Amino acid sequence: MRIVVAYKYAPDPQEATVASDGTLDFSRAKAIVSDYDAVAIEYGRQLADAQGAALVGVSVGGEAAAKPVATKAALARGLDEVVVVSDPELDGAGSTRTAQAIAAVVKELGDVELVLAGDSSMDVGARMVPSVLAGLLGWPMLSDVEKVTLADGSVSVERLVSEGVQSITAAAPAVVSLTSEAVKTKAPGMKDLLAAGKKPVAVKSLADSGLVAVSEGTVTARAKLDGPARKGVVIDTSDPAAAAAELVNALRAAGVLG
Amino acid sequence: MPFQLTDDQLLTRDSVREFAEAEIAPIAAEIDKNHRPPLESIPKLAEMGLLGMIIPEEYGGTGMDTVSYVIAIEELSRVCATHGVLAEAHSSLCTWPIVNYGNAEQKQKYLPDLANGNAIGAFGLTEPNAGSDAGSTSTTAVRDGDEFVLNGQKIFITNGGFAKTFVIIARSTDAPGAKGLSAFIVERDTAGFQVLEPEQKMGIRGSSTTPLAFSDCRIPAANLLGNQGEGFKIAMQILDGGRTGIAAQALGIAQGAFEAACKYAKERVQFGKPLAALQAIQWMIADMAVDIEAGRALVYQAADTEDRHEPHSQASAMAKLFCGEMATRVTGKAIQIHGGVGYTEAYPVERMYRDAKITEIYEGTSEIQRLVISRNYLR
Repeated sequence: MRIVVAYKYAPDPQEATVASDGTLDFSRAKAIVSDYDAVAIEYGRQLADAQGAALVGVSVGGEAAAKPVATKAALARGLDEVVVVSDPELDGAGSTRTAQAIAAVVKELGDVELVLAGDSSMDVGARMVPSVLAGLLGWPMLSDVEKVTLADGSVSVERLVSEGVQSITAAAPAVVSLTSEAVKTKAPGMKDLLAAGKKPVAVKSLADSGLVAVSEGTVTARAKLDGPARKGVVIDTSDPAAAAAELVNALRAAGVLG
Repeated sequence: MPFQLTDDQLLTRDSVREFAEAEIAPIAAEIDKNHRPPLESIPKLAEMGLLGMIIPEEYGGTGMDTVSYVIAIEELSRVCATHGVLAEAHSSLCTWPIVNYGNAEQKQKYLPDLANGNAIGAFGLTEPNAGSDAGSTSTTAVRDGDEFVLNGQKIFITNGGFAKTFVIIARSTDAPGAKGLSAFIVERDTAGFQVLEPEQKMGIRGSSTTPLAFSDCRIPAANLLGNQGEGFKIAMQILDGGRTGIAAQALGIAQGAFEAACKYAKERVQFGKPLAALQAIQWMIADMAVDIEAGRALVYQAADTEDRHEPHSQASAMAKLFCGEMATRVTGKAIQIHGGVGYTEAYPVERMYRDAKITEIYEGTSEIQRLVISRNYLR
């Protein structure tokens, strides 16, 4: 049995800068294994150990994703092996192309009971790849998951929803995206780093994956980054009670509060 | 010559930084305030493999290169200089001589526990009357059958309060000065060996710094490390490596203070704009950055020289001299940028300033480093 973890080697938002027009500049940000995907790898390791399964990392990206420093960083967190679909055309690939490439690898691997993903990618944060991937594979998709149990060909999860915790059981194989709190990650130790250098890495191009014609689809709408113009209302807070009343009145006048 | 870190060295930095920020940074201020050795960190350091970095894999370590090792010390010290010197003294001062001068039995007996954290290491060289002048060591080790009998006192021994394995330099032959010294492994629970009350220090307050007393302390003759009369040579080689480790500690302290200063300069608003917009602050930041990068180049160069098995006493002395004084300069500027709050315990830079000063003193003062360096040019 295999458990796959879909992970992204992405620029660290902690090192991004915000330009005056609200756009993010990642050009000087160092790439790392996405924080949320590190959660998925850690969770996957524990699940794989309990099931006696192999834990395979699958990543999609440009040339940087296939560099040894990138694959070792992922392997050191507990993966048994990684498969990277790396192609200059996939540098900055969106959800559709990324999911298509991951799906191709998952199909080729075979014997995959579960695909785990992090809550979202830490640089884009669209939270789309797991859903598109599940659609492409024709598998159930379970999001916002805190706990996963694999048994008898089914996947049981506990989802964190606004009303509380929801328990769902679906037929395996399935795609599961975990919350960022599903498990506490820990830094890879020195022995993990040494072991990472000895684990198998497979690098595939788009052509290897049979995905030459992948397309991102058409983006039909984009939200403005800067939102509506600010009204510049300033409230004097020297009298907190009066300030609170003034704030409520201002929000009512603007139609924000009923 | 530009220095390019390998992938493994870069990943070592990332991992140790992640570990240090998660596990060490949260207790750094508290252990300083309470002069409390962070014993709870020892199993964590061991699990991360940070106590066995220079121990070969066959003895439970990871046998990593010296550059990776100094990066780890740098990253620990970036958030907490106490943890930096705990790991540094353990590895550079105790583990290193056993790896390099121990016989097969000694390595098998001591290295696995030093790698897995069951034993922390310490090194006893300094005495009340033998500081920079290590050749004046007066602790004696007299052969008596299958044993050596130790008498004397050591001071300022890092990790003394909790170490289990000590490498001790003592006078064991009639040869005068440095030629009469030998190195020994002494276990903590040996009769006649006593660890005395720790010093109350200006900085690195969580680090346990104690005197040691030997009173007819009998150790097996098999605990002689290397040959009789090699003690001074071993001690100097220990310090050659140790100085690169302390330089890395100083570098880490400076880096931590620099990052704190940059953060504060961007957040604190005066005269209607952040401090970072003021040229007086920008110039200080620039000078600090240059200082740190120059120090980093010297540290990695010294470590790389050791990795290439080339003589490195000159390179390590240069790194130690520069980084020790640099850390004091940089942490001082970090306080200056913070202004009044930088002088309080509310911000970490006053701790870093106090921690930095010792790096100009221990494992060879700046004056001793200048002596080592100048000798190479004036002989």
